[in-house]
Amino acid sequence: MRLHPALKRWESVLALLLVAEILLFGAINPVFLQPSMLLYATSDFIHIGITALALTLVIITGGIDLSLGSVMGLSAITLGILWVDGVNIWVAALAALAVGTLSGVFNAVAIHLSKVNPLVITLGTGFLYGGAALVLSGLAGATGYEGISNFDPAFVNLANLQVVGLPLPFALFLALTVGFMALLHRTRFGRYVYLIGQNPRAAAYAGTPVFRTLVVAYALTSLMAALSGLILASYFGSARSDFGTTALMPAITAVVLGGTSIYGGSGTILGTALAALLVGYLQTGLQLVGVSSHVSSALSGGLLVIVVALRSLSEMGRVWFQHRRVLRNVAAE
Amino acid sequence: MIIRFLQRHREASVALIIVFLFAILGLVDRSYLSFDTVLLVYGNSLILFVLAIGATMVMATHGLDVSVGSIMGLAAVVAGLLMNAGWGIPAAIGVALLVGLVCGLFNGALVSLLNVSAIVATLGTLGLYRGLVHLLSGGAWIEGLPENFKALTKAGSLGLSPVAWLVLVLLIVAHLGLRYTAFGRSMFAVGDNREGARLIGIRVNEVQIAAYGLNGLLSALAGVIFASQIGFIPNTAGTGMEMRAIASSVLGGVSLLGGTGTVLGAALGAYFMTSIDSILVLLRLEAYWNDIIAGAILLVVLITDGKIREAVDRHLRYQKYRKFIDPQAAGQHADAAKAAARPLKTTLETSEARK
Repeated sequence: MRLHPALKRWESVLALLLVAEILLFGAINPVFLQPSMLLYATSDFIHIGITALALTLVIITGGIDLSLGSVMGLSAITLGILWVDGVNIWVAALAALAVGTLSGVFNAVAIHLSKVNPLVITLGTGFLYGGAALVLSGLAGATGYEGISNFDPAFVNLANLQVVGLPLPFALFLALTVGFMALLHRTRFGRYVYLIGQNPRAAAYAGTPVFRTLVVAYALTSLMAALSGLILASYFGSARSDFGTTALMPAITAVVLGGTSIYGGSGTILGTALAALLVGYLQTGLQLVGVSSHVSSALSGGLLVIVVALRSLSEMGRVWFQHRRVLRNVAAE
Repeated sequence: MIIRFLQRHREASVALIIVFLFAILGLVDRSYLSFDTVLLVYGNSLILFVLAIGATMVMATHGLDVSVGSIMGLAAVVAGLLMNAGWGIPAAIGVALLVGLVCGLFNGALVSLLNVSAIVATLGTLGLYRGLVHLLSGGAWIEGLPENFKALTKAGSLGLSPVAWLVLVLLIVAHLGLRYTAFGRSMFAVGDNREGARLIGIRVNEVQIAAYGLNGLLSALAGVIFASQIGFIPNTAGTGMEMRAIASSVLGGVSLLGGTGTVLGAALGAYFMTSIDSILVLLRLEAYWNDIIAGAILLVVLITDGKIREAVDRHLRYQKYRKFIDPQAAGQHADAAKAAARPLKTTLETSEARK
């Protein structure tokens, strides 16, 4: 059986799974198939997708960012604190994005200076940023996890705005997907990202600006995390320091399920975007058919395990068949 | 010399920081500087100790387990449900530990037999096991645990609870076991060089699965200790503990790249993480300062340690190639040699200055 090369790609499998998933849930509960339902359900999980897009770059360079959840909380709290202090909401939002970007730059600098595994460094900076968010909200008197609310109505309405018939966060996600695809697959920077992931030493010897590329990749990830924090603040109408704690693992799941190698060097933005939708709709769909949100998160965990194990098995099978063919050829001679 | 010593005995640097922390505490109030405080922190770090032992084993094999928090929760819920259903305490704990072992073995099988990368596999089981927690508990807290069960973590002989004694024994056994037994060494061998370990006759897959299995068992024990300590079991029991366990081990010198580390170091790392929390309470700082201070110290330690390692490596390389680096040599070689020697010299000078 000969398949068109495009169909052999992992992204096609993901797209098929996505369609099958939506049809399956639609068959159980027809409400799921209404376009408005499908569009507005994204608001619950699209922040994960937006962060995962940028995280793809970091993971392709062979790194990882465990601090992005904390950055979400930090950016939301920064917005809240400035708003409480009487700063214009849009200025506060810009400041929150700036804080996010800076924390990403700090990640990259710390990784570069210490030459320690990014996993460890961002684990540490994750504590740091999450702690900073807690301190800020504590100093502002937002006791515990209550959060800061009463934002400018214009800002709160933002998450419910429509752009060409799409909810603004989802439209933003689509635009960012295209933007990141162009960045990763069509620019010199994108090629550097792959090269560093394939072989950092060879990349350095080939004159690749390794440090600069890493700074941009980590800064973009934190920027997207900060943006997600703002989207959540707008969506919920309040800012809390623990916003991102549950977003980290799903974001990594989306990237890995999307076909990016956790060891770096390969992966695509389209895969991540599709996987983010796949996991997000799985959660929504399961809740719609009456499965509790906690069990649905177990099922998405199970999905990740099964998909990755199957990919690994098929790879092992491919290698096995290859070896057998070689052995048979040798035996024939 | 000091640098060499710290390099050889990675645990010593954490021990130094702990002493430093206690010194700050002593400056604020002399009365806190007592053995009671040490014991208090020890009692608070039991869970992290147990998790750090498991994390050390898994990380020694060049693995990583981010599902331990969920295994903790699952074991606690299983133990709680069984006890409330009228089971005896030992039987309930036994089943809970068994559940942890099975969860760990499943992680190990995914990583070892199916060749899934450790972080991805355990990320999946993190969600999976947490879902089982909610499924079993039905979303409600489990309360009304038997008093005898709670008594396991109440202070007993010499100011230590029965569980605290058990953990002490575990720490010693695990430390010696990982350093001096063939099985312990084989974990490090697998982590250092998987193919090499296979060639010298180590059953690589079995060792890896065993490391994850033991880690699961220990996580379950941590879950049981958690339930006994706080007396009820929320659905969120154990969330976020995986990161604290990994951070403790890394602080204590266990390498994420496998092959190096000691249980003693990881335990000191865990003790340090807990003493920050406890000392902030004693200093009457608001609890929200915990994470930022822990994170800052963690980063400073990691970055300094990375720098020291780099300096030592460079120093060794300099010693090795010194005879080739001759400033008098003619031509482009000399320039290259000088360029190469310059960073070496500066690090040498700084290391002299440190002495």
